[in-house]
Amino acid sequence: MLIGLVLAFSQSACQPSRQSERLTVASAGRISSLDPALASTAGVLQVLSALGDTLYIRGDNGNFQPQLAASKPKISADGLSITIPLRRDVLFHDGSRFDAKAMAFSLNRFLRIGSQRYLLSDRIAAIETPNTYEIRLRLKQPSSSIESLLTSPYLTPVSPKAYADHADRFLNDRFVGTGPYTLSSFRNTQQRLLPFSRYWGARPNNVGLDLINLSNSTALFGALISGEVDVLLSNSIDEDQKRALSQRADKSLLQESKGPAMNITFVTLRSNSPPLQNQTVRQALAHSLDRRLISTRVSYSQREPLRSLIPPSLRGGKTQPWPTYNLATARKLFQQAGYCTGRRLQVPFTFRTNVPSDRLMALTWQAQLERDLPNCVHLTLNGVESTTVYKQLSEGSFEAVILDWSGSYPDPEAYLSPLLSCKRAKGNICEEGEAVAGGTFWTAPGLQEALRRSDTLEGNPRLQELISVDAIAAKGAPYIPVWFVAPKAWAQLRLNPPTFNGNGFVDLAQLGERR
Amino acid sequence: MARGRELFRYCATRLALAPLMLWLIASLVFLLLRVAPGDPVDAVLGSRAPEAAKAALRSSLGLDQPLWNQYFDFLNRLVHGDLGNALINNESVRSIISKTLPASLELGITALIISAVLGLAVGFSGIARPEGKLDLAGRFYGIGTYALPPFWAAMLIQLVFAVMLGWLPVGGRFPPSLIPPEGSGFLIFDSVISGNWSALQGSIRHLVLPACTLGLLLSGVFTNALRLNLNRTLKSDYVESARSRGLSETQVVLRHALPNALLPVLTIAGITVASLIGGALLIEVTFSWPGIAMRLQESINQRDYPVVQGIVVAIAALVVMVSVAVDLLVAVLDPRIRY
Repeated sequence: MLIGLVLAFSQSACQPSRQSERLTVASAGRISSLDPALASTAGVLQVLSALGDTLYIRGDNGNFQPQLAASKPKISADGLSITIPLRRDVLFHDGSRFDAKAMAFSLNRFLRIGSQRYLLSDRIAAIETPNTYEIRLRLKQPSSSIESLLTSPYLTPVSPKAYADHADRFLNDRFVGTGPYTLSSFRNTQQRLLPFSRYWGARPNNVGLDLINLSNSTALFGALISGEVDVLLSNSIDEDQKRALSQRADKSLLQESKGPAMNITFVTLRSNSPPLQNQTVRQALAHSLDRRLISTRVSYSQREPLRSLIPPSLRGGKTQPWPTYNLATARKLFQQAGYCTGRRLQVPFTFRTNVPSDRLMALTWQAQLERDLPNCVHLTLNGVESTTVYKQLSEGSFEAVILDWSGSYPDPEAYLSPLLSCKRAKGNICEEGEAVAGGTFWTAPGLQEALRRSDTLEGNPRLQELISVDAIAAKGAPYIPVWFVAPKAWAQLRLNPPTFNGNGFVDLAQLGERR
Repeated sequence: MARGRELFRYCATRLALAPLMLWLIASLVFLLLRVAPGDPVDAVLGSRAPEAAKAALRSSLGLDQPLWNQYFDFLNRLVHGDLGNALINNESVRSIISKTLPASLELGITALIISAVLGLAVGFSGIARPEGKLDLAGRFYGIGTYALPPFWAAMLIQLVFAVMLGWLPVGGRFPPSLIPPEGSGFLIFDSVISGNWSALQGSIRHLVLPACTLGLLLSGVFTNALRLNLNRTLKSDYVESARSRGLSETQVVLRHALPNALLPVLTIAGITVASLIGGALLIEVTFSWPGIAMRLQESINQRDYPVVQGIVVAIAALVVMVSVAVDLLVAVLDPRIRY
């Protein structure tokens, strides 16, 4: 009876009639801070992309365009100085003017307290403000990738006036930037964004956004299906629910949009000790992976097979140098390495227990190898929580482990350097550097030089250099790329379809009622 | 008079032992977190951050200090009521607890009321005819609800009532279109105080599903406890003597058997409250309820040492307080109890 009464009260006069003209947008995960210096998760960066602007953006066609910058950067002849002219008509949400000093304040703040400050500090020697609307970055060495870095939402400028007391510490529950929306209220699981009336650019298509953060896949799925939310932005929902949403979109019950893939999944092979020290064995494993089958079984083909360390959405990602699934070649290579003839390669394969798709991938690959190459190779599965995996990766604890990576900015370099660079090596074994942190301990002659060279080049020559790095890695096979995941968003039919920018974030200002 | 002194001594002893218990729990959590694999620095910087950046952050967080130094620093702060700041975003742990604990208490207390009302009603319903249909149904209900896997039941209830029927919200604690009332953090209470009826309605709508699910799952404990105790009490000598004095069966049950049978149920309720404060994790996760259990789980995953330590100590302190209060209440209500 009590439950009945409560239900009756809660139901009275609160049926789906909309209480607000604002759009409700749901995503996964709590937002613990909106300080750009602390931002790292996709959810926070998505919100920051609506609250702030960056110097440059990658448009939906992937082109590099000025946003707060007035034009393209001017690079000095020696490549050690980048001068960026700034727009003169930009205001912060607190009414103060955006200028070179404000931009320098934000970059210096990020360099001091930013959680990913190493991305800048490795490149920038000094930040100068030659005049009110011009900022100059002095580089430690030529770096063409810095342009892409400047599109990252964590480098969005913040108001020096509003952050005066937080120049050296985080401001978690407020944000004062230059973007199309102001932050009206903030809770860890709920944020309200209202259009900024003095925004320099186009006004948003909606009267505001209520962002909610739900903690599990069923809640996100159910909230969209029941009409409780207008838009769902999330890749953190179960594959079967993702498929169900896609099927509803196919039947014109919802709208589905797909953005550029920024997340890649790969198998990391520890290449500094037998048996995987042998390149032939690594190549054999690379040939033995039936990506299409695994993608179908794990994700109903929603995760697309990948044969490169560069996502196909980026320039340079179309080459796909890793081998396709070829059983005959795999068997031949295993035989060359001394397996299949009475001797079977045993590979302990680790997956992260808190990532459901990893477990499914591991189980499917194990079964596929048992079916295809029962005399040659056997995977022994080993589940470990992700925090432990990351901690023990550089200690060489895992012979083979499935991991994923999202670049910090939309550039091939943001994938190749963190996965392959090496500071000190002996032959093909890396002793210090990212290859150690990543658990492969692998490098190859000429690879580091090619990586370094690529950062001094521009345009197509740079791209070719990066493609050659990808090809060297494919030959050495310290990684086996498995699939890439394109971000998706779903909206109710009465709204415009969501659009993504080149960084993989939904342009929230474009969301609005269909006309 | 002598009993009053005994009771006072018992409570004083329990309260005096509380700091010792809290110290033990805090030390254990401190140690277990450090022994567990994983690194909070990875959670802040990401797994691929350069070693130099990791080392610098580790140093700024004091994680490069010897374990003993970290431990004494932690105890020193704890004694002074300083639970420290989160490693992830530097937010004070006290603020995290004050934001999340009211949510858990609001859910827990409502669920407890629902479970007690539902459980006792079902437990009592079969007493008129033991082994009758109603009694058997009550027994089945008691075992069934107790045995239901919480995550499964919660998900099913969510799918039926929120997704399929659309009667109630899928998750969260408050309608996104409204601004929650400021105050104690107990949204229903704050809505009433501020006279904000749409906020009250919104809060209740969001509370119904998680509270009813949790209440349903817990009610079996009350059903079984009441059934067993009432059956035993009804067979006791003093009940027989009441019957022999010619009292009606209703009078025997309501005035003599039920009050005694309810005493153990009170103890169970106390234990349940204690377990609810930090134990409703699956319900909080399923219904995206921003409570302390969900925050604890998240902080464990991030290896955010100060947050985990602070929340565990806060929950332990609450459990101690509740269990002392329940003991006191039972002792006052039951004159047979000696300490």
